[in-house]
Parts: sequence; structure tokens; C-alpha cells
Amino acid sequence: MTNLIMKFFRSTPYHLLLGALFAVSVFVCFATPIGGSFNDVVTLKMNNVANITPLKATITTTGYDSVAKKFYNAKDLYGTEKRVLVDRTQDLKIGDVIVADCSYLPSENYFYVVRIERINPVITFPLIQGLGELGRNMLFHVPMSMVAFIAFLLAMIYSIMFLRTKNMDYDFKARASSAIGLMFTILATVTGSIWARFSWGTFWNWDPRETSIFILLLIYIAYFLLRSLLEDGEEKKARIAAVYNIISFLPMIFLIFVLPRITQSLHPGSSGTEAPIINLSGKTHTDPILTYILWTNVLLFTLLFLWMKELYTIVLRKEFSAND
Amino acid sequence: MISPILRKDLRIELRSRFGVSAVVMFLLVTVTTILFSAPGAQMSSSIMSALFWIALFFGALTGLSRSFISEEERGTSFLLRLYAEPEDIFWGKYLFNLLLVFSLALCAVMFFAFFFRDFVVRDIGMFALQLVLGAIGTSSTVTILSALVARASQKGALLPVLALPVLLPLVIATTDATRITMEVADSWIGVRGDILILFSFDVAVTLVSYVLFHFIWQE
Repeated sequence: MTNLIMKFFRSTPYHLLLGALFAVSVFVCFATPIGGSFNDVVTLKMNNVANITPLKATITTTGYDSVAKKFYNAKDLYGTEKRVLVDRTQDLKIGDVIVADCSYLPSENYFYVVRIERINPVITFPLIQGLGELGRNMLFHVPMSMVAFIAFLLAMIYSIMFLRTKNMDYDFKARASSAIGLMFTILATVTGSIWARFSWGTFWNWDPRETSIFILLLIYIAYFLLRSLLEDGEEKKARIAAVYNIISFLPMIFLIFVLPRITQSLHPGSSGTEAPIINLSGKTHTDPILTYILWTNVLLFTLLFLWMKELYTIVLRKEFSAND
Repeated sequence: MISPILRKDLRIELRSRFGVSAVVMFLLVTVTTILFSAPGAQMSSSIMSALFWIALFFGALTGLSRSFISEEERGTSFLLRLYAEPEDIFWGKYLFNLLLVFSLALCAVMFFAFFFRDFVVRDIGMFALQLVLGAIGTSSTVTILSALVARASQKGALLPVLALPVLLPLVIATTDATRITMEVADSWIGVRGDILILFSFDVAVTLVSYVLFHFIWQE
């Protein structure tokens, strides 16, 4: 049974399926419209953050006409009902869900729709105040950093297995995990720092999570540096590198699980800040759709990582037997 | 068998005094460099504790890296492998390194207290506890990593690269705890978390080093 499953994971149909799922996921992440509530529109306007904010609302009643515009009553996801003013060219029915760029004037008692983005979308993402369209990056950045840590964990487990069995195959797997993990770490760092530049203002500010990914990067680099500087004997080389891999796992436990919770952090989920999207208790404060798609992406990136690791392991195995 | 290894290292050390003098000179150079690069500057407690632990950690990396590399250089590691069990070698080297870090820490405290006006520790007992815990963590990490580095080429440059990521929780916890002990006299509440991190890190790193040592040591 397990053999059959492993065979499936190595087969071409599975890889095509994985590719197709990735394409769908990327499409969904970029094409899904983002819409907030009336409250978001008002808050962002009042704080001079944005004049126009995407709004998601359901039309409840058609209101009265004027010459060029038409009033509707609409209800947002929190159930707040407000009057919205829409161009006459758009014909809306009762029960239509609209995602629209919306503006608000404090002197008037209605919301003004600048442009309707989408009518009756299949899915929408909630608006995260302060992030807006930048929030989409979460669907790539968070899975990448998670995979970076999963890779490191796997490399550590393979290192232990290698020390227990002295089977070189585990060393290839540990090395492959580290190599692909290094790639994901670099991707997570780059996407994270670009994101930080546009939402926090600087590329880097030594937030605990940034520290831990930076240390992960250092550990990966030190691991490969050590491997390249070790002399004589593949087995001895593998043994010493495995020991370093296991020792360097210890600080990661402290950096990932202890430090972010006792020091201030800009990332959600640390002490003092409430996690808006994901937290450990699984409670979400906004639309759960974002959480589902996030976890789907985590799964997809993990599967991608496992596949790449498998390929690199095969390369290392071939290299080893060719040198032997 | 623990004590013969320790005794051997101590005797070699007493004969040459290389380790201690190198470390003390390193500290002296560091302290004077700080003094000349910031003459008469008013230093806050966070800067003071950071400088203190930077001097201590890099001093330890310089001094302690010798323990296995010197065996490798003198060609005595084969004999050691023949005559002693890996566990005994690990504990012997570990204890020797621990003594070296303790003397290093004492020297550092004396130098800093002598040269820096702003180096005022309000909670002496807690500071001593941090020094002990920091020394234990540093010496076990550096013992295992120097054994690892001794098997590689380019030995000198490699140790700091390998050790910095591993020592980082220790650096963060000790600098934070020392800053607090410099600011308040009764600091237990403030440093509790850091002391807990230090203690658990020490236990974890010492046990893991002990378990993994013979994988590095065996030929």
C-alpha cells in the first residue's frame, strides 16, 4: 500500500496535477477581488490613508432614482446597512454582491461607488487594513517561510536517521532538504523584505521573525560552508555535517517558539498584537476563505518542496555512485 | 578518566600559558579599542551590556577554539583516541573550557569595572548567575563546534561562522538580562524569562553535545 502511494508520488500524472493545482492557486491568489466593510471605508478615509477603498456589499433594496445616479441600500459582511450611490449604467438586482471602489464624504449620509469591480464574484478576500492589495503577498510569503522551516526540520530528522543507520541515502536526503530549504529561505526573505518596505517602511527592521529567518539563512550557509571545507571521506563528511545540522536546530527552537512571544514584533501573532488572519487557536477574525487558501498554499508549497527534494536526492545519489 | 584529560590540559596550559594569555590580551585589546574609539562617551546600560557580552563571546571563540585544533596540529589526537573514551575526552575538554570561560568572565568583569565608569551592576547575585549560565552554554557550544572545526580545513575562520547562529539565543538572553541587572537592584522579575531561556538552552546544548560528540570524534 505504501509502495503504491510512493509510486503515485513519483509518477508523471501527479506532477502534472501538482502543476495544475499551482496554476489554479496562483490564479486564485491574484484574480480574487479584495473587499472590505463600510467601517473600513470610513476608517481609512478618516485617517487619511485612502480616499477610495474596495468595498464588498450585498444589495438589499433598490432605492430612489436621480437623473444620473441611483441609490441602493446595501449590507456589508458585518451586517451594517448603508445607502450607496451607483451610476445608472449599472443595473443591480436585489441580492447582488458587489465589490466596488467606494468613497465617502463625511458631510453626506451615503457612500459613493466610483467603479464597480465585480458583480457576484465566486470568492473574495477580506480587506486587511493597512495592507490592501499588498495582503495578497501573504499567500506566498507565509507558505514559503513555513516550507523553509519544514525543510530544516526534515534535514534534522534525516541527519538523526543518518547517524543512527550510517546509510548514505539519508545524508543525500538531508543535503537535498537543506539545499531546497535554502532556496525557500532566500525566497521568503526577499518576498518578506519587499513586503516590509511597502507596508512597514523599511526593508529590514530586526523583528523577531526576521531574526529567526536570518539565522536560518546563516545556518544553511554555514552548513554548506562546513561541508565544502571538510576533507577526506564522504562518510565522515556526512557524519560531521549531520552533527552540525542537529546542533543548529536547538537555537531555532528558541528563536521560533520562545523569542517572538516574549518580545515586541511587527508580525501578527506576537505578544501584544492580536493576529488578524492566523493564530494558533485557529480563530479567525475575518473571512475564513483567506485562511483556507493560505493553508492550501502551504500544502502546495510543501508538496513542491518534497518533489524538488526528491529530484535533488536522485541527482546526489547518481553523483555519488558515479564517483565511487 | 575525566580528570586525567583535564589535568593534562591544565598542565599544558600552565607550561605555555598560551590560552589564558591570548584570551586576556584579546580582552585588553578589545576594551582599549572601545575606549579609544569612544573616548569619554556616556554609555547606556544596553550598550554597556552589549559590549561586555560581545567581548566575552568573541574572547571565548578565540581562546576555546584551540582545545581540539591544538591536538590536531600536534598530531596527538590519534593517541588520545587510542587511550581515552570519547565521553571522557568530551567532559575533560568541556571542564577545561569551562574553567577558561570562567577566568575569562572574571577578567572581563574586572577590566570593565576598572575602565568603564558606566559599568555599574545593581544586582550582583543575578549578574553572577547570568555569568555562570552564559559560561556553561558558551563552553559546551564551543567545545562541540571546535571539535567539529578541527576536522575541517580553514579552521580559524570557520568557528565564528558556525558558532554565531547557535549562540544567538544565548547572546539575546544574556545581553537583555545584564541590561536589566544594570538598571534595577531587585531584578528577578525582569530577568526571570531570560534566566529560564539560558537555563534550558544550557541543558539542551550540553546534553546534545555530549550525545553527538562521539560521532565527530570517531575516525
